[in-house]
Amino acid sequence: MSKVQPSPILPPELIYNPTSAGLDEAYGIAQSQQQEGQSQKQKGEPRPQWRYLLDSLKALGPAAMMDRHEKAQRILRDDGATYNIYDDEHSPSRTWGLDLVPGLINSEEWAVIESGLLERAELFNALLKDIYGPRELIRHGVIPPEALFLHAGFLRACHGIETPGEHELILHAVDMVRTQSGEMCVLTDRTQAPSGMGYALENRTVMSRVLPSLFRDSHVHRLAPFFQRLRQKLSSLSVNHDQPRVVLLTPGAHNETYFEHAYLANYLGFPLVQSGDLVVRNGFVWMRSLDGLSRVDVILRRVDDWFCDPVELRNDSQLGVANLLEVVRAGRVVIANPLGSGVLENPILLKYMPAISKALLGREPRIQSVATYWCGDPEDYKYVSAHMDKLVIKPLYRGTGEVSKRLVDLDEAERVKLLTRLKERPAHYVAQPTLLPAHLPSFEGNKLVPRPAITRSFAVASDSSYTLMPGGLTRVGTTEGAFVISSQAGSQSKDTWVIASEPEHSRASDVTSDVSNIPSDTQLISLPSRVVENLFWMGRYAERAEASLRILRTVFMMLNGEELISDLSRKHLLEAVTGITGTAPGFKDCSQEILKNPEQQLLQIAKDPHLAGSIHFSLNAMLRSADESKELLSSDTLRVINDIRDALENLDSALTGDLGSAPEEALDPLVTALMALAGLARESMVRGIGWRFMELGRRIERAMQTVCIMEHLLLPVVPEHDQNALMESLLLSVEALISYRRRYRARMQVAQALELVMLDPSNPRSLMFQFEQLKRHIDALPRAKTSIELSAEERTVLSGETTIRLSLINKLSEVSDGERPELSALLKKIHDTLSQLSIDISDKYFDHRIGPQQLVRSNWQ
Amino acid sequence: MKYRIRHITEYQYADRVSHCYNLAHMIPRTSLRQTCDRSQVKVAPHPAFTSRREDYFGNQAFHFEIQRPHEKLIITSESDVEVGSQRSGINLDFGITCSEALELLESSKDDEVLLAREFILDSPMVRATKALRAYAEPSFTDDRPLLSAVANLTKRIFEEFEYCPESTTVATPLDEVMANRKGVCQDFAHLQVGCLRAMGFPAKYVSGYIETLPPPGQEKLVGSDASHAWISVYSPREGWFEFDPTNNQICGEQHIITAWGRDYFDVTPLRGVIFGGGENPILSVSVDVARLA
Repeated sequence: MSKVQPSPILPPELIYNPTSAGLDEAYGIAQSQQQEGQSQKQKGEPRPQWRYLLDSLKALGPAAMMDRHEKAQRILRDDGATYNIYDDEHSPSRTWGLDLVPGLINSEEWAVIESGLLERAELFNALLKDIYGPRELIRHGVIPPEALFLHAGFLRACHGIETPGEHELILHAVDMVRTQSGEMCVLTDRTQAPSGMGYALENRTVMSRVLPSLFRDSHVHRLAPFFQRLRQKLSSLSVNHDQPRVVLLTPGAHNETYFEHAYLANYLGFPLVQSGDLVVRNGFVWMRSLDGLSRVDVILRRVDDWFCDPVELRNDSQLGVANLLEVVRAGRVVIANPLGSGVLENPILLKYMPAISKALLGREPRIQSVATYWCGDPEDYKYVSAHMDKLVIKPLYRGTGEVSKRLVDLDEAERVKLLTRLKERPAHYVAQPTLLPAHLPSFEGNKLVPRPAITRSFAVASDSSYTLMPGGLTRVGTTEGAFVISSQAGSQSKDTWVIASEPEHSRASDVTSDVSNIPSDTQLISLPSRVVENLFWMGRYAERAEASLRILRTVFMMLNGEELISDLSRKHLLEAVTGITGTAPGFKDCSQEILKNPEQQLLQIAKDPHLAGSIHFSLNAMLRSADESKELLSSDTLRVINDIRDALENLDSALTGDLGSAPEEALDPLVTALMALAGLARESMVRGIGWRFMELGRRIERAMQTVCIMEHLLLPVVPEHDQNALMESLLLSVEALISYRRRYRARMQVAQALELVMLDPSNPRSLMFQFEQLKRHIDALPRAKTSIELSAEERTVLSGETTIRLSLINKLSEVSDGERPELSALLKKIHDTLSQLSIDISDKYFDHRIGPQQLVRSNWQ
Repeated sequence: MKYRIRHITEYQYADRVSHCYNLAHMIPRTSLRQTCDRSQVKVAPHPAFTSRREDYFGNQAFHFEIQRPHEKLIITSESDVEVGSQRSGINLDFGITCSEALELLESSKDDEVLLAREFILDSPMVRATKALRAYAEPSFTDDRPLLSAVANLTKRIFEEFEYCPESTTVATPLDEVMANRKGVCQDFAHLQVGCLRAMGFPAKYVSGYIETLPPPGQEKLVGSDASHAWISVYSPREGWFEFDPTNNQICGEQHIITAWGRDYFDVTPLRGVIFGGGENPILSVSVDVARLA
């Protein structure tokens, strides 16, 4: 969340004063009825499991704590841990907020919670089986028919679908709070595509790094075994037992929890796919990958079920895979959670939970749910009408965009609106009392303050029962009396520690080696085509931005240089900027006025995000491509990407104000970051297929840029003075000025410049060098070798390389009729070859499907 | 009565379709008064994959997947169906009254009644509005037998709404049908379903075919029979009863059922996703209902 502003005056000690309004987790003080009204501070002793933590924080002191906090935020940012805020496409995603004071639960307490939650997962599993099976609960009148049939999450198309193994419900999550009585109480169940477990894991990773000794000495139950169970369960669902292919399906990089999708996919060792990467053919689901289609057996789903199949579910869904449901029915792919499981999030079910439990398990549930009144029930409706102001009004279905509201928070108009809706369609709403959750100590500003807390816990089906994650994702309110606690509302998160009375022994089942963290060769080969395409474009955009930055920097330096340059040189230089950035018409055929004062235009080319071809535009495109292929980028690379993001955000302010002095310096941080990115790609990226495509993109773009700059600065026949200026600019922007001077000393000669930027294979920016690299990468790409005939892209790259090798410098530098016709023809030819190469690669390896459309429905008589 | 039904659907696309996925509801289902003895669906071009199943409502769902490029899609569904009339002798003047029916719907623990309550609720294309209730209300007096009230509503829709083939599209909302007082069989079925639900009674949308008899002395033309739609209403303890508001009829042997559901959405004859195809495909449908000796 918000960055904590370092305060100059820190409190001397980090001491926690628990809340006086209700139950506090650390102190266990409950507000007693008879003392209401007194503003007493009845502070006793912290509860045993909290003593060590609070003492440690006190010993650490506010300054050190602040230091750790900043370190934690840095790590989160570097890991790319973000949470995107909905409805705001333009807002940069926020770094995940982590409060370093964990929530603590001791083993004994946890055992009680655990048995309640495991039972609840079983109950919901049985409920799911019944809803999409015999519907006995309705036939026997346990729940009224409307409670099920009214809910938009009840997908009739999913009737009769069965998941292999004992459980239908693979993942079950609940949001729970500790009430004033000290009992845990479930507020909601999450069964659609529960999010948060990845964030919980990331929180744990960061905590163990920034507070290592506190973490070690607290004997915290580990999270890793839970994820092993998850991986095992998903693999076991596969019909193909030898080599189960599990994928994680994400809606895409714009999703609020995309970080988590990429993070989990990586941690679990499953490819991260979007719906466009999957296709149904001949009754199976396949992933489009570089080496063709590969079978998919299990899908861990983070796309809401309603969107998953445009044929049978939501017709206009762009997130679906056509005919997916029919493959599921045939048992040829398994989806977790199963399609249709969103129906369990229906809050009416909470009202009937005790009855459902008695019908299905023969006993009362061990863990209670928040009291729920269904407005479709006449008795309940009467109660709700009479107690309106103490209740939260909640719509049945989350998918409609309608949210829970407290009447007391609404102004008169909103209130009337809600009450009208409630009166018109009472059955579509439930009401629940507003609970005051117990408070947890939280580090905010530079103090420890009490904050209401809510915890999400996770259970995964395993063998004959469920396994609960020991701990979970806790979030705290932004104020002491906060009502809404959600990441969307800006709440901070906390790690949740289940504390063992003694160090945890590694159990045999926990030590199974965790090899799937390392992607195997086969997985690298079968990357989704989309990911590879994004890497290719990431390479191209990075290079394009770099070339644009360089030419811009060069032009600034030349314009403000010691030697005044002529109007002619100025014109050619500025046209080169237009050419390289592709922002035509720009300086082409522009007025003398603009040529004389080009600064505003140049700045626009740097920082205008809406100008196609501007540096900002290219970098945004690069960042988008990077987001799409996030799971393949190393953590160092992600850090550099973050630097670029930051530098971009600051670009605007860096380039405003007085331009009199060296505006090119404002561009330096970006050039450096892009260099670092290129370096990392070289040094720390696995030489897999993905890396090759990024390099291909990079080399093609660089060669194109070199051709372009030669066309603008080497091709024109100009007086010697201007030629010197242009050639100096050329060499400066391709970083060859120093080598040129060292090698040739003398004045600028076109022939020598040509040798250096075109033919010299030892110059990493020469055309020759790019073609040699391109050839190497293309040779290493996977292809079905059916004949010894060269493939299209092999032919194209060979022809480009040969053209350069066969060229004669002397002929190229020849001038006739005020032009260099040979050079002009050659540059054009190389440019066309490069365009063709990009097309060849794209045709062969990338995906060019046209989007689906709904079949027009038939007309009737 | 035994029929052989041939239902041909043809799509001519403006542009090439590279592949497509479809779900058809074109095979007559089995019901209390109807059995389907034989059915066959042919798709051209030849599909890469087909499957057939019974859906949530007990209808026959047919899936196919075409993986070869095509500009024309032809689906031919042929079935032999034996159809009977609804249980003998529906007497509109006796039976459960409207108020008794409402009472039973609310209080009965009979699972048939409980499950029928699904069809009182709003569905994707039909929302029970105040306007629909206001329109229906005159037919439903408390002491009138429910079926007599439904027959009256059927008659009123038949008389007060104009049958007008060009007036509506699939997407015509009920409000508009109400305002213009015209539509096609599908609109009238939706309208009556909406009215019944607004009054608190379970109602289904039924799709199928109706046998049209030629004018006396003329031979029946092949392809003149059409796909049709009507409704089914639930009366507690008595069961489901079909009425046809387009023809003001209690459905009988000439009404051949394909599928039923909450509304058109559940029983769309052909839905799916195509890749490519351009704009505005030309659709032609021909239905032939022939009596088997």
